[in-house]
Amino acid sequence: MATTSTSKQNKKKRWTKKQKKDAWWGLLFVSPFIIGFLIFMLGPMLFSFIGSFTNYNLTSRMEFIGLANFKRMFTQDELFWKSLYNTAYYVILNVPLTAVGSVLLAVLLNQRMRGISIFRTIFYLPAILSGVAVYVLWMQLLSPTSGLINTVLSWFNIQGPAWLFDPVWTKPALILMKLWSVGGAMLLYLATLQNVPKQLYESAEIDGASSFKRFYHITLPMITPIIFYDVITSTIGAFQIFQEAYVMTDSGKGGPANSLLFYNLHMWNKAFVAFDMGYAMAMSMILFIIVLVLTFVNLKLAPRWVHYS
Amino acid sequence: MVKRNKKWLSLGITASMALLLAACGNGGSTNKDNADGGSGDKVELEFWSFWGSGMRRDAVEDIIKDFNKSQDHIEVKYVYQPWGDIWTKSLASIAAGDPPDVIVQDINSVQQRADAKQATNLQEYLDKEDEDISSRFYPQLWDTVMYEDDAYALPFNTDTQVLFYNKDMFEEVGLDPENPPATWDELEEAAHKLDVKKGNNFERIGFYPLWNLGADVWALNADHGTSWFDKDGNVKINTPEKVEALDWVLKQQDYYGRDTINNHEAEFGSGVADPFISGLVGIRAQNINYYTNLLENAPDGFNYGVAPLPEKEEGSGHWSWGGGFVLEAPYGAEHPEESYEFMKYMTSPEVQEKFGLNSFDIMANEEANENLKEHPDLDDKGHMIYDMAHKNLEQTVITPIPLEAPDYTELVNGQLDEAMLGNKSAKEALDAAQKSVEDLVEQHK
Repeated sequence: MATTSTSKQNKKKRWTKKQKKDAWWGLLFVSPFIIGFLIFMLGPMLFSFIGSFTNYNLTSRMEFIGLANFKRMFTQDELFWKSLYNTAYYVILNVPLTAVGSVLLAVLLNQRMRGISIFRTIFYLPAILSGVAVYVLWMQLLSPTSGLINTVLSWFNIQGPAWLFDPVWTKPALILMKLWSVGGAMLLYLATLQNVPKQLYESAEIDGASSFKRFYHITLPMITPIIFYDVITSTIGAFQIFQEAYVMTDSGKGGPANSLLFYNLHMWNKAFVAFDMGYAMAMSMILFIIVLVLTFVNLKLAPRWVHYS
Repeated sequence: MVKRNKKWLSLGITASMALLLAACGNGGSTNKDNADGGSGDKVELEFWSFWGSGMRRDAVEDIIKDFNKSQDHIEVKYVYQPWGDIWTKSLASIAAGDPPDVIVQDINSVQQRADAKQATNLQEYLDKEDEDISSRFYPQLWDTVMYEDDAYALPFNTDTQVLFYNKDMFEEVGLDPENPPATWDELEEAAHKLDVKKGNNFERIGFYPLWNLGADVWALNADHGTSWFDKDGNVKINTPEKVEALDWVLKQQDYYGRDTINNHEAEFGSGVADPFISGLVGIRAQNINYYTNLLENAPDGFNYGVAPLPEKEEGSGHWSWGGGFVLEAPYGAEHPEESYEFMKYMTSPEVQEKFGLNSFDIMANEEANENLKEHPDLDDKGHMIYDMAHKNLEQTVITPIPLEAPDYTELVNGQLDEAMLGNKSAKEALDAAQKSVEDLVEQHK
C-alpha cells in the first residue's frame, strides 16, 4: 500500500534511486502472493475459461467445440438442474441461519459473567475441527435409532426423521450440521461487539431504552459491516459445498434420490468419473458467473443497510 | 549495524526463496535421474498400489522382493498410495507426463482410459509371446482390458457376489443347512422362516436383498446376465425381467417396512458388531471377499455356508456380478517393456497363487484359483470359498463403464431410489431411467 501511494504522488517526477530501490523491495516482498495468485488462481481460471469451449478430457483431447458444453448443460443435462437446485436450497437456508446463529451466539457470549471464556472456547472449538472426522461423527449423531439427536427428540415424544436416509431430510441434516460450526464467524462478531462504544449504550440506558431496543438500534447497526462481510464470504463458501456430500454419501454418488448431489459434486463427477473436463470447466464458469452476480447484487444493496460509523 | 543486519536478512530471504523455487521445480525429476543412471544398467520401476497394510501389503512386498532377486535387469520400487488418492494422483501424473510405471487400477474403467490415452497399449508385447497370455484369465476379465482389439492392462484379481448363510440358524428353524435356497421364491420363504418378530418389531431379519448388494445386481440376475447395457452397448434398463426384479425387491421392502430397514441399517456395525456375525440377519448376499471379515471377526465355530445367488426362476440362471483390479502401465510410462515384464510376472499362476494364499483374494488367473481350492495351507473353509468362487465366475458378469455414458449411474440410482421411496412404480422408474440414459448416450455421440 505504501509503495502505491508514494508512486502516485511522484508520478510526474523521476524516481530517486532510493525510491526505485524501495519499490523493488516492495515488489519482492509481495511477490509470494503475486506469483501464487498468477500460478494458482488466475492461470487456472483462464485455462478453465478457454477449456469450457472445448471437449478437453485431461489427457489426449482438446478441440474447440464452441458453446456445445453450455448448450448441453442447459438443455440436456437433467442432473445439472437437480444439482443447481440442491445447491440453491442449501445456500438459501444455510447463509441466513449461520449469520443469525453466529450473531446471537456472539451476543450471548459477550456477557460479563464468571467463566465466560470457557463457554467461548467451547463454542469456538467446532470451528477448528474440520473435515472427514467431523462428518463421520455427525453421521453417528444423525443415526435414526441410536443417534444422539433422535434419542434426545424421543425424550420429548418426537419421532425423529431418518435424516441421511430420507431425501426430504438429507439437506436439512447437512444445514443443521453446518450450524454446529458457527464459532468461526461468532469470533468475528464478538470482536466487533467489544468495539461498540460503551457511551452509546449508557446514553440509551439513561433515555430508558429496553435491552431489545438497545440491541436493535445500537448493536445491530454497529456490526453491519461485519455481517455484510460474513454474508458475502459465506455465500461464496456455501456455493462451493462439496466435501460434506462427498464424504457423507455412499461413495460420493449424491445420496438418496440424488438429494445431496451438489453442483460441485456433479462437476467433480463429470471431470474425474466421465473425464469430461471441458464440460466440468463450463460448469465452473456458470458457477463463477452466479457467484459474481450475487456478490455484485450484495454490494449494490449494501449502502441501504450497512452502517459505517 | 542495523543496516548490515537488514542486508543479511534480505539476502537470506532471497536465498531461501530461490532454494524453495528450485526445489519445487525439480521435485519430479530427481527420482528419474536415479532411475536411469543411479544403479548401473538397472531399470527402476515405480509400482503404485493402495495395499497399505495387512496381508496384502506383506504379500505384495514379498512378491516384489522375489521378482527383484529373480533377474538383474529390473528393480521394482513399491509405492503405497491411499485408496482415496491413488487414481486422481495417477491421472494428474499422466496429464503432467510423469506417471508411475505400473499401477493397480479399476477393472471397469480400462477401456475408458484406453480411449482417453491414459494407458499404454500392451498388444505389441503380448504379440511377441509364445504363450497366449490371455488364456491365463477368466474370459470376461480379459474382455474388460480389450479396446479396439488391443489389450491395455492385465487382470489381477476379481470378486463375485454370493450368498452367505448361517447354518445353525437354518437348523434352528427347520431348514436344511446343506440345501440353501436356489430360487428367489425359495429365498423369500427361507427368509421369512428365519425372521424373528416381537410385537411389531423385527428382532432378526432373515434376508433383505439390498443389504450389501444393489438392485442392479438383482436386475442383472433376473435378465439372464444382461446389465443396464447389453454387449453391443444398447441401453437395456426397462426390460420386463428388470421391472419384475425391481418389483420383487420392492415387495421385500414392503414386507419389512422402510423404517425397519433404515433403522436396522443404521445400526449395522463392522467387526464383531457385523450383523451377520452378531445374528441380526440370517442370510446375506455379498461379495465373496466378505470371507476375510468372517475369518477375522467371527467367533470359533461360527457355522456358515456359501451358495450362488439364487436364480429368479428355475432355468433363468444363477447370474452374479463381479469387479476387480488390473495392472496397467499409465500412458507415458518410461519403460513400457519392463513394466509389461513385471505385470506378466504378477499374473503368472505361481505369483497369483501366492497372493491369493496370503490375502484370500479371488485371483484373475484361473489356474491359481484352481490350485487354491485344494491348497494344503488352506483349511476347509478356505477350500470352500475358492471352490465356490471358481464355479461362480462361470456365471459372473463384469460391467465395464460404457464409453458412451460413463457417468450414467446417478441417473439410474436416482430413479431406483424414487421407486424404493414409493414415489414411482418400478416400471415408471425404469422407463424414466431408460430415457435419461438414452439421452446421455445421445449427448456423447
